[in-house]
Amino acid sequence: MIKRKLPAQPVWIRTLENKLSAQKMKTIYFKVLTLPLACLLVFAIKPDYGGQISIKLNEPTSFTLNTANYSNLILYSLIYENFFYLKKNGAMFTHIFKDYHVDAGSKTLILTVKDNLSFSNGKPLTAKNIQLSLRMFLASNLFAASQLNKLIKNIRVAANQVLIELLADNPDIIAMMTVPELVVLAENEQSFSGPFYPDQWEKNKLLTLKANPFYAGGRTYLDAVKITFTDESIPDVFLSSPKAFKTNFQEFDSGIYQNVYLCFLQGDVGQNTKIALYTLLKKFNETTGSKYSELHTLTSDEESPVSIQIKTISRQRTASILKSSDIKLYILASLSYLEKDLTAFLKNSNLKIETLFIDDSQMMNFLNSTAVKYVLIDKIFQIKVPVEEKISRILKESSFNQFNVKYLRMLGELNEVKYSNSQELLMEQVARISEAIINDGFIFPLFQKKYSLYVRNACQAMEVDYYGRPLFQKAHIGHD
Amino acid sequence: MKKVIPHLLILFLYPCFIFPQSSAESLVQEAADTVQVFFKDKTAVRVAVVQFENYSELTDLAMQKIYQLLAARLENNQGIQASDLLLNFVNGRGEFNLSKVNELDYLIYLKLIQNKSKTGLGMAIFSRWQDKLVSIKYTEKNISQSEMELLNVNNFAFSEMGFSKLADFESKNNLLDVQSVCGPDGITRYFFYYPDEIIIYLARGDRLEKQSSFILTWTRPFYPVLHFQGKLLLFTFNQELVMTVGGNFSPYAQVLIFRDNQWLPTAKIGFIPFKQLMFNQNLYLVGAIYDEGKNYFKDKIFFMPFTDPAVHSGIVEKKIFPAYDMDFSIQDGQLQGIHVIDRNYFYHLLTADFSEETPEQVQKGASLSASNGQWLAVSDYSRQTDQIFFYDIKAGGQRPAYTGRVAGEIEFISAGIWQKINGFWVCSRLTQDGYGRSIVQFWGKRHD
Repeated sequence: MIKRKLPAQPVWIRTLENKLSAQKMKTIYFKVLTLPLACLLVFAIKPDYGGQISIKLNEPTSFTLNTANYSNLILYSLIYENFFYLKKNGAMFTHIFKDYHVDAGSKTLILTVKDNLSFSNGKPLTAKNIQLSLRMFLASNLFAASQLNKLIKNIRVAANQVLIELLADNPDIIAMMTVPELVVLAENEQSFSGPFYPDQWEKNKLLTLKANPFYAGGRTYLDAVKITFTDESIPDVFLSSPKAFKTNFQEFDSGIYQNVYLCFLQGDVGQNTKIALYTLLKKFNETTGSKYSELHTLTSDEESPVSIQIKTISRQRTASILKSSDIKLYILASLSYLEKDLTAFLKNSNLKIETLFIDDSQMMNFLNSTAVKYVLIDKIFQIKVPVEEKISRILKESSFNQFNVKYLRMLGELNEVKYSNSQELLMEQVARISEAIINDGFIFPLFQKKYSLYVRNACQAMEVDYYGRPLFQKAHIGHD
Repeated sequence: MKKVIPHLLILFLYPCFIFPQSSAESLVQEAADTVQVFFKDKTAVRVAVVQFENYSELTDLAMQKIYQLLAARLENNQGIQASDLLLNFVNGRGEFNLSKVNELDYLIYLKLIQNKSKTGLGMAIFSRWQDKLVSIKYTEKNISQSEMELLNVNNFAFSEMGFSKLADFESKNNLLDVQSVCGPDGITRYFFYYPDEIIIYLARGDRLEKQSSFILTWTRPFYPVLHFQGKLLLFTFNQELVMTVGGNFSPYAQVLIFRDNQWLPTAKIGFIPFKQLMFNQNLYLVGAIYDEGKNYFKDKIFFMPFTDPAVHSGIVEKKIFPAYDMDFSIQDGQLQGIHVIDRNYFYHLLTADFSEETPEQVQKGASLSASNGQWLAVSDYSRQTDQIFFYDIKAGGQRPAYTGRVAGEIEFISAGIWQKINGFWVCSRLTQDGYGRSIVQFWGKRHD
């Protein structure tokens, strides 16, 4: 093979110098070597930090925790951290506690807070904040809070531990603490414990939330979440009726429905007026294309043992009853999406009905005013929650100043039959409570709204929890 | 391409079929045997391949593999000191670093030809001192079409003679780094760095035995993270063992000193030291800092004179670009180069004067590490399964040399030593079982 003596070194060097530069050749060489492999494997190995997702929600009135409706449930889950989360499959997890267990001997639930946690403004998040948050939750007028209250004797703090002394050992105590309303609150309202914190708020337009660098669950991949209140553009995440969108979006069953009720807070409202107003609002739904499902029970038609048939009256009769009335209809801000259509409808009806939107937190102050007679409220429910719990919630949270000894007794009886293991007795008691509430005439069920959560395909790793809330912690913008 | 696809499928499904004892290997083996026989009675002769031409049907890729097989065998020949001078292959010719030829005793010339259906390898050994050819060997084999395709499409040669997996351990989650130090008692201790503790192991045969551990305490500001990352550095200073630890969860790194049988925190510094190096006869720590809570480094590197473990002043910053990983190759105590994987997964090489070599246009994985100015290990741009590429950086640049498959996704690579063998610790995460396990492997060149 070797036919000649090989050239001396200087010749080779000259030959080399005449060729491409070594670096250029290295580049070409490497391209040739690795291109086929790179073409086959097209994924990066680290999730990308950055970007933002837009979500359409109702505009809040403040950042004070208020989870009265589904929209709020989502919004406040972005800025307030839950003690515990419940996945759809029933698994629980927490970002706040490094350990939690019940000491059976002392009947104490011990929550050990992770080290070095901070609120969004860098202020320490300690066991004291957990104690305070739990106390505030227990003091709230929520069904879940009253349930938990019955189990707790005392709450103490020792170093980084919160010691919750129980009246009796209850294996469900942690599960009861997964409710969305039990969140970590700071003494300072400008401190937030959730994955994001409010940055900019353009009223009636949008709210920008920025990633909380101190978030206990770990810095989110997203830099920001833009919450829009208008329909100017299609957001990345939004709520809508089931099966409304198919292309470019993933649909998640939120497992959530929202009931709308007409409430009469004063006992002096005549039966005719009640029926006329009820008829008018039913007509409103028909006129605007029946956007909402009919509701004939206090919870859901599919699960309630009784149906409530409130007979409506004719249009002429409705008009004649209401024409002389001067009605101020108070509507919770969580139903603000009704405003445009309802205002137009009432204007066309030529009736003197004024609508006033109020925040949930203002509602309690209005209860003492005799001027407030007619209120449109909503209640949000998780489909999986047992019907007896829902009826208890309605009775406790929506009877307002009409809550009386009779209701207290009925709730007690409901609790008793819950432990009887008799489904028949349980449903009978639910039916009895429903009947009593309707007969007392302070709450009429109107409509029901079901929700699907739509997420743009490019938004990846979004999860939905047991309560139908999208969890943004690990969400990121895809490369496709 | 259609012909190639079945072989590619075989290659990915059955990695063990990639390099069976092939005709190409026996071709190389015969050439290597000739070299061995020729140098049998000689000691410490300095040898290198300085020319390699290809007139066969094989491509430059196949040449690369054949060269690598031969180089690996030469490196393992006890009688010679084989140097690897290859820079590149292009247009059927090898490019060699000929500036080192004067340091050699014998030069090897190689040539591949096609002789009818067979591929032939011609080898000549040239003595510089005698200024003549002293040995010629020609051998040929029938390299089948399928083997030829495999040679032509497979990107890197890997031989057991090169980097291979020497150890394999399971670790608890969130392992951030592994380093080792040989104590005055001659015993090597392996430090496994987790966010909240350091566990120190001793080697017992092929396994690790826990010797001790200590808790790391961090203070606010503390940034909880979805993925922990960090670096550990161990070195001796004034006869004392010094440790620095930092991560993406803290804006500072801790400096600890081993005194009275315990690790004492002595200072906090505003960046994470990667390596120690010499500048103007002074010891410096060089490193970078993570973007808080995230999985990448900020766009700066830092140099700090290290005169006292308690002092942390005089830090000098140098702007580069945000990076998923980076490392500093140090040769004889001096900065040789800075290796960087940017946030688009492109590799950059900065020289010691911070000028950038032309960046590669092919994406790499997010982990790399450089070992004493000799080797660079880089992970793959892939998910689920990964591989590790070893590059020869002795000549300052980078030349792909070996590759090996790693189960799971590589989380970090860290240059280190396992039982006196230089190489790399590779931590990967397996998610196949649905729970996730961390596996630590050590890859090294057993015969170095």
